[in-house]
Amino acid sequence: MIENAWLIPLFPLVAFILLIAFGRRLKESSAWLGILFTLGAFLLSVMTLFERLRLDHSASVVVDWLQIGDHLITMGYEITPLNALMLFIVSLVSLLVHIYSRGYMDGDDRISVFYAYLALFTFSMLGLVIAPNLLQVYIFWELVGVCSFLLVGFYFYKPEAKRAARKAFIMTRIGDVGLFVAMSLLFWQVGSFELAAIFTAVENNELSAGLITLTAILIFVAAIGKSGQFPLHTWLPDAMEGPTPVSALIHAATMVAAGVYLVAVMFPLFEASPAAMNTVAYVGGFTAIFAASIALVQNDIKRVLAYSTVSQLGYMMLALGAAGYVAGTFHLMTHAFFKALLFLAAGSVIHALHKQNIQEMGGLSARMKWTAALFFVGCLSIAGIPPFSGFFSKEEILLTVWQDGRAGLFIVAVFTAFLTAFYMFRLFFLVFSGESRSRDMNQVKESPSVMMFPMLILGILAVGSGFVHTHWFGTFLGDWLISGPASTYGAQAHSETWILILALVVSLLGIGLAYLMYAKRTWDHRALAERLPLAYRVLYNKYYVDEAYRYTFVSGLRGLGIFLNFFDRYVVEGVLRLIHGIMTGIGTVGAKIQNGQVQVYGITMVCGLVILIIGFIMAGGYLR
Amino acid sequence: MTSVPLNAYLIVAAILFCIGLYGALTKRNAVIVLLSIELMLNAVNINFIAFARFGLYPGMIGQVFTVFTISIAAVGAAVGIAILIALYRNRGTVNIDEMDLLKR
Amino acid sequence: MNGELLIFLILAVTSIGGGILMLNLTKVVHMVMALAFTFLSIAGFFFMLEAEFIAVAQILIYGGAVTIMMLFGIMLTRHNDQDESRKRGLKWIAAIGVVAFFVLIVLAIDGINWMPEETAFVENNTAQIGLYLFGHYVIPFELTSIVLLVGLVGAIILARRDRKLNKEGEAHD
Repeated sequence: MIENAWLIPLFPLVAFILLIAFGRRLKESSAWLGILFTLGAFLLSVMTLFERLRLDHSASVVVDWLQIGDHLITMGYEITPLNALMLFIVSLVSLLVHIYSRGYMDGDDRISVFYAYLALFTFSMLGLVIAPNLLQVYIFWELVGVCSFLLVGFYFYKPEAKRAARKAFIMTRIGDVGLFVAMSLLFWQVGSFELAAIFTAVENNELSAGLITLTAILIFVAAIGKSGQFPLHTWLPDAMEGPTPVSALIHAATMVAAGVYLVAVMFPLFEASPAAMNTVAYVGGFTAIFAASIALVQNDIKRVLAYSTVSQLGYMMLALGAAGYVAGTFHLMTHAFFKALLFLAAGSVIHALHKQNIQEMGGLSARMKWTAALFFVGCLSIAGIPPFSGFFSKEEILLTVWQDGRAGLFIVAVFTAFLTAFYMFRLFFLVFSGESRSRDMNQVKESPSVMMFPMLILGILAVGSGFVHTHWFGTFLGDWLISGPASTYGAQAHSETWILILALVVSLLGIGLAYLMYAKRTWDHRALAERLPLAYRVLYNKYYVDEAYRYTFVSGLRGLGIFLNFFDRYVVEGVLRLIHGIMTGIGTVGAKIQNGQVQVYGITMVCGLVILIIGFIMAGGYLR
Repeated sequence: MTSVPLNAYLIVAAILFCIGLYGALTKRNAVIVLLSIELMLNAVNINFIAFARFGLYPGMIGQVFTVFTISIAAVGAAVGIAILIALYRNRGTVNIDEMDLLKR
Repeated sequence: MNGELLIFLILAVTSIGGGILMLNLTKVVHMVMALAFTFLSIAGFFFMLEAEFIAVAQILIYGGAVTIMMLFGIMLTRHNDQDESRKRGLKWIAAIGVVAFFVLIVLAIDGINWMPEETAFVENNTAQIGLYLFGHYVIPFELTSIVLLVGLVGAIILARRDRKLNKEGEAHD
């Protein structure tokens, strides 16, 4: 099966083509078409994963694509353990979101377009995770960016959605430039886009240390853009204007994880440069605590989840930066499951209420039992309560960071875990417990089973997926991930009981605080906000990062734009208008001459003859 | 022997040619246009004859060519008048302004 | 000032005057008559240049046949026609073009720097032309006769195509 892995991305591609071609006629049934093809891709991915589990070498197929001078550019695919795992995650979440969307997007006129975009995204993402060379990575990297743009702007008639789509595209583009430059630099130095060739060159010390650091940081810039790390994180919360299934699939589980994936794939390069590792770790750690603190006070259910995503991605980066290849990848997987679950549950709430402000919700657990239960599972998982999956992956990260030896980062990670538990349960209590703060709660119904089914699957995975790698039974996932010839992926962390207990205590503290403030209301959170007005306002306005960008980059560029606009309008266009006027004048005169009268033609000929003769005389120098 | 130089003949011929050209380009009546063209041909004939007498290689050839020119010009005039009459019958005018079939 | 120059000047004045009259008269018939003067003056130039045969042919063909034919043409079309002025702008452009052309020609004539030598008086001018025409230039001569024939037939066909309306077309050819 593994030699046919290249078929996996083709399934959604075929679905995309079919949906674009016949979508209008298929209407509602286009959803089933999309689901069917994604199911095909998923089944193949599962088979590939199992086959790869048994093998002890990576399967890779490469065909020549272009011969440029001495350089051969190839296309192909490679199934490393990481790739197989990503294939599985992406196709699974994609399949579940496809099914979920059938219920969520029910009745939308453009449902076939939606499914076409989803299929295109699935294709790009699957293509991205099996790419064996940087060029292919870059191509699919841009494709997922385009799909994200299309899907965020799916409700293009809403101005916020339009703006958000534009912002998402531009912000990620800034990062993509980094990838492009890094790719070009590596090709220039190594002469190949192949990852294997690059790693070999790194291992053999063919590249200078400065160049390695530079390219690694440039690649990390791309990851920053895609994964919403500080300072390019602002697009991700805005991207929540898209339909909720899209947020779940793209902006929580898969695409934003592409940045983490990219760093993981390029891990040997990063490992060769301590400076790059430091950058990754510190940016990740800062983003984790920074986004978590913003999430504390947000009122939009999806925005809280978005900042939580940013924070968790920062966590993964922190793990990778601390040489925790296994920890980062493991958390990527568990996060994909529980964050997709949380988003889908949030989507279920939004679907029922048509509201996103959590201050207007409350008491939903009575009416939406299943959603509440699944959301609770997701919250427990992300907060890191055993035996939920988040506990294991988070513990792995904490272990890794501790054993990497940077105490500051470890404290940040622990504190972030506390914040995470707190804001997730604040969200949960505000939405599901207590009294309803809205009048029209009576019509609220549980979502249809087509939406509940994917949530259920994800719920099971959120509970169970942690067991593939625990220090209790065995670190199967980690052993498998770092198996194979490339043993440069760092050592695995050893279990330390006190860290395990610390993580648990911290999470429970966060949950308890949230319970006291938002469920029991022993301490009124409003009083706290009033006591610390400045801090509250800063957090509520997301540290004014957007405003800072607006007053620096945006207004600077706008000034430049105004200047260029004037330049264009008055200088360039003036010249053009002059040329255009001359041409029009000649044309008008020419048209007037062409009136069919022989004499006018004769006059023209005589004048032309005179001009010709004068020209010849001048050229010949006879006229002095 | 003669006191009239070649240049005088050439200049008179040029003046006549230009008068003919101007007439051919501006007159509205087709008959006059034809006649102006004949005048231009005649101006050329003067040049032929003048060069036959004063040229670098004087001789009879200029005169012989003039004979050809005159006969061909006569044919042109006859056919031109015939065309004019046919046109007049079809369109009721010999006004050149109104003959703009070339436009179509 | 000798007699020859005087005659040249008189002929020049009549020929150019006829041309200018042609340009400025309003009645079409008058224009044709003015041009007849020009043609006759040109015949005079030919005499002065010792080309008697051409001169006589000029009088016969231009002074007689072509002028008469043009008059017939006018009579058969719109005999009391007057030539109204055309659009002024085009007239000016044509005038500028023609004057520029004239200036160029005069410059070119002025630039002739070889001293033209007068040939000796050619005796039996007419006989010489005959010898050339039927000797060296016999093929062009025969071709010219064919052209004349074709022109004759063509003119007749063109002019008398529509038999019902009028048959005057045959009258002059």
